[in-house]
Amino acid sequence: MLGRVSCRLARLSQRSTRSYSVEVTDERWPGWQPVIGIEVHTQIRTRRKLFSDAVANFDAPPNSHVSLFDAAFPGTLPVLNKACVDLGARTALALDSQVHERSSFDRKHYFYADLPAGYQITQHYSPLATGGKLHITHTHKKVKHERDVRIHQIQLEQDTAKSTNQPGLTLIDLNRAGAALMEIVSEPDMRSPEEAGAYVTELRALLRAIGASNGNMDEGSLRCDVNVSVHKPGESFGTRCEIKNLNTIKGLQIAITSEIHRQIALLSSGQSVAQETRGFDEDRAETFKLRSKEDAPDYRYMPDPNLPPLILTQDYIRDIRARMPPLPCDIRQRLSEQHGLSERDIDVLMSMWAVSDVPFDGEWREDDALSYFQDVAQGRDSRTVANWITNELVGSLAYRGEAFTPQKLPAAHLGLIIDMVQASDLTATSGKALLRRLLEEPCTSEPLSALIDRLNLRSIGTDGLQQICEGAIQRLRAEAESARRGNTKVLKRLVGEVMKASKGRADAQAAAAMLREMLGLPIEDTKD
Amino acid sequence: MRRRPPPLRLSRRTYATTRPAQTAAKYLERIRLDQGPEGLNAFVSVNYDLPPEVPGADGTPEPRLCIAVKDNICTSTLPTTAGSLALSNFNPPYSATILHLLLQSGAHILGKTNMDSFGMGSFGVHSSSGPVRNPRDRARVAGGSSSGSAAAVAGGLCDVALGTDTGGSTRLPASYCGTYGLKPSYGLLSRHGIISYADSLDTVGLLARSLPVLSRTFQILNQHDPRDPTSAPEDVRQAVAGAARERLRRLGDGVKGLRVGVPAEYCPSELSPQALRPLRNALRTLRRMGAELVPVSLPSTRYALSAYYVLASAEASSNLARYDGVRYGFRAPAAGEGERGDAAQGYARTRTRAFGEEVKKRLLLGTYALTAERLTEGSAFDNYFLQAQLVRKLVKRDFDAVFSAPNVLSSLPAENPTGVDLLLHPSAIGPAPLFSQLAEQDSLDAYVQDVLSVPASLAGVPALSVPVSSQGMDRGEEEEVEGCVGVSVVGQWGWDELVMRVGEVTGDKGDH
Repeated sequence: MLGRVSCRLARLSQRSTRSYSVEVTDERWPGWQPVIGIEVHTQIRTRRKLFSDAVANFDAPPNSHVSLFDAAFPGTLPVLNKACVDLGARTALALDSQVHERSSFDRKHYFYADLPAGYQITQHYSPLATGGKLHITHTHKKVKHERDVRIHQIQLEQDTAKSTNQPGLTLIDLNRAGAALMEIVSEPDMRSPEEAGAYVTELRALLRAIGASNGNMDEGSLRCDVNVSVHKPGESFGTRCEIKNLNTIKGLQIAITSEIHRQIALLSSGQSVAQETRGFDEDRAETFKLRSKEDAPDYRYMPDPNLPPLILTQDYIRDIRARMPPLPCDIRQRLSEQHGLSERDIDVLMSMWAVSDVPFDGEWREDDALSYFQDVAQGRDSRTVANWITNELVGSLAYRGEAFTPQKLPAAHLGLIIDMVQASDLTATSGKALLRRLLEEPCTSEPLSALIDRLNLRSIGTDGLQQICEGAIQRLRAEAESARRGNTKVLKRLVGEVMKASKGRADAQAAAAMLREMLGLPIEDTKD
Repeated sequence: MRRRPPPLRLSRRTYATTRPAQTAAKYLERIRLDQGPEGLNAFVSVNYDLPPEVPGADGTPEPRLCIAVKDNICTSTLPTTAGSLALSNFNPPYSATILHLLLQSGAHILGKTNMDSFGMGSFGVHSSSGPVRNPRDRARVAGGSSSGSAAAVAGGLCDVALGTDTGGSTRLPASYCGTYGLKPSYGLLSRHGIISYADSLDTVGLLARSLPVLSRTFQILNQHDPRDPTSAPEDVRQAVAGAARERLRRLGDGVKGLRVGVPAEYCPSELSPQALRPLRNALRTLRRMGAELVPVSLPSTRYALSAYYVLASAEASSNLARYDGVRYGFRAPAAGEGERGDAAQGYARTRTRAFGEEVKKRLLLGTYALTAERLTEGSAFDNYFLQAQLVRKLVKRDFDAVFSAPNVLSSLPAENPTGVDLLLHPSAIGPAPLFSQLAEQDSLDAYVQDVLSVPASLAGVPALSVPVSSQGMDRGEEEEVEGCVGVSVVGQWGWDELVMRVGEVTGDKGDH
């Protein structure tokens, strides 16, 4: 917790940020101020569903993980999954939200095939937590923006089934029915599409770091509804429209931008904005009307008579707090302060964990960006380590189109490669080759040093280099003669020949130095 | 003309033990004999498999407790229709927890009993399987909604019947048919596998001709169930059982020193004179045995019936939303090719056909009570649902104020030295109506039947309808009595044992 406090203090001292206390309107819509609030629905990363013991697995064949309760069979009753409450409370604490000692569950009614019981169990009247904030940072047009986005409330609820429409047919997959969702509702605190994107990005990173959700937007485990309104600075907020179901950060930003332009166009032509729910057409980059306020369904909210109030004691909340994994801002801060890494390196390190698997039920994840870095950096130079990770490792993974997991390259292996390169036992080229080889085929049984020998990667040493240089001079006599006469340009060809002959085990600079010595050229020239 | 003698001669042996009276084979024979157009119509499905015999201590077969189960309690071996076309073809893939408990204890399930659709009805006439006749007088209704269960018990077709009780559905037919009918404290008996009508009020009910058999069945079922989120936790059960057992120990064998409250509000203008005589007899018995009778007041009683119908209907409108014909149960076929693919139309068609008039009426009422539509002042939800919840709190407070024992579920349990141990009042405003009288009644008359039973449902406290002789004890008071009315014994939450003790003392010793 100390880390979090100092983390916040560090933010206060940061400079070059733009203040929003004076409203400066965006050049895209001069004279207009957009106001944005976001409702995020995110699947809670639990093994089992919110009120049933069916496994929450949405990739499985349709309707293969369905309990009688999920299918709303008569006589079945909900039994609350404690792991979902734990992760909800953990999220609330991570967002500085007030976890209520007493919250309760309500039914929201509507008839649709994706809702087998005819109602969704949610927390309408007394949510799990209210208040809180999320600090966001983003850079737009080279200006760094920072803001605390306030959280309105956090509630637990059931996910619906997945329906797939075909002509004249609706297919229902109940695997998702009754899975645990968390709805995180922000206050209307964002002022630009980029800020909205930064909020979702930051929230997603936080949820992943604490194990509350895998935040996978492609698979629909994190979905956004966005409220947008525009007004002139100094005037009160305009009428808002809600855009439903935005499933990519890019799509969210495009939808908001388009909606801002639509509303400004209406108001500028003397019309008014009608309060309505809108959808987003990604292909046309436009929002479209789903229903007006008058058509809004009456959900007939009713306290769920089967579920007693959820009572969370102070002891329980203390316990959840004590088991809180490090938050992204804590990790960033330690990478920066303890290891002196640049913001760019930290960004790359953090992004390596952005797609990794999140363990179920809030179980402690053994590794994160910080712990992996620390394991490799133990007794080594931080910057060198950062360089290897953010350039060589990330680059090789990107080339392979793979996501990082610590199993792919254990910290000990990467550390050994760095050490050997530092000690010139491996050339940098060989080190990189070894790294790529390990990603291709993880070294399990064989000791790494044996593998290096087997692959003949070990540095050839001074004697070996001398032999190879001699060989090169023999083979390229004309060039060697030319060099002796002072034509240093051909030296590059000779070095190339040496490198080729050594299969990367020779160091290019050392080779150039040795060739110069052999050909009787001055040494100082090699420095360029 | 309507006084048809019951076709079955029941033995007159006094039933003082908890042993079952008949073997399963004997009961099955009676059930078979009762079938046909003149029968009680108590059973909707029968289990004809005879259980293997278990030899007792003396070598003769130990009779199993033979049980009839209301058709809204899920059984994996018999269909479960809840008395509705909506579930006419429903074979549950699981059995209710209480059914497992009974089977584990060696009980035998005879079959499933007829009922008002989804438990909605006071007379047992709103069933897709037709009305149930009263074994005492076949021209009269058996009462509802556990109509088949009460008729099976009173007609000698089983030892015990499981019913359900949401606002009186066990106690009213027990009163009409002259059997014991217990609505236990809410949360003691598992509801897992009970088809919901109104979850916050639904309880399993027990019906029997003798109290020891009923009590024994209650003991078997009185267990915490982790599958029911409203099942009372172990610590609460132990806390209240300790206090109740201590009170029973102090009472010894009898009821000497027991303080019995007689609530003034339970004699509404609709009460028939027949309803008072059994109550008077029961009170006389108790006083003779040394109990103290105390007049008490439960002032919120008059609002209870309206509050009950708002809450029960609201919950029903939510609980019955699942009967859409998609995953199980009845589905109305599409009228034409054009109607295919329109889900909303499919739901409407199926639900219109599947639900009877009484169910539809309550679903519409309940749907309305939950709407957020703005009225002149507030919404329907504010004016009906929230008001009804408020009344429910007042009714609970009324009970807590008169009982001497504290309510362990309330936040501030405090002993009340001037309070009473129990309340006694008539179970119903009159005897079972004749089928011929129903046509003259409007729907409100049916709802008024529940006026005396719904307060205990709203408060979740135990209530037992006890068959008490209506014969006058004094000379000259004897007259012909048409139909019977039970006496209800109501206790504090968790004091079911004490309620049953007083039921045993005041009730008719069951003809068997």
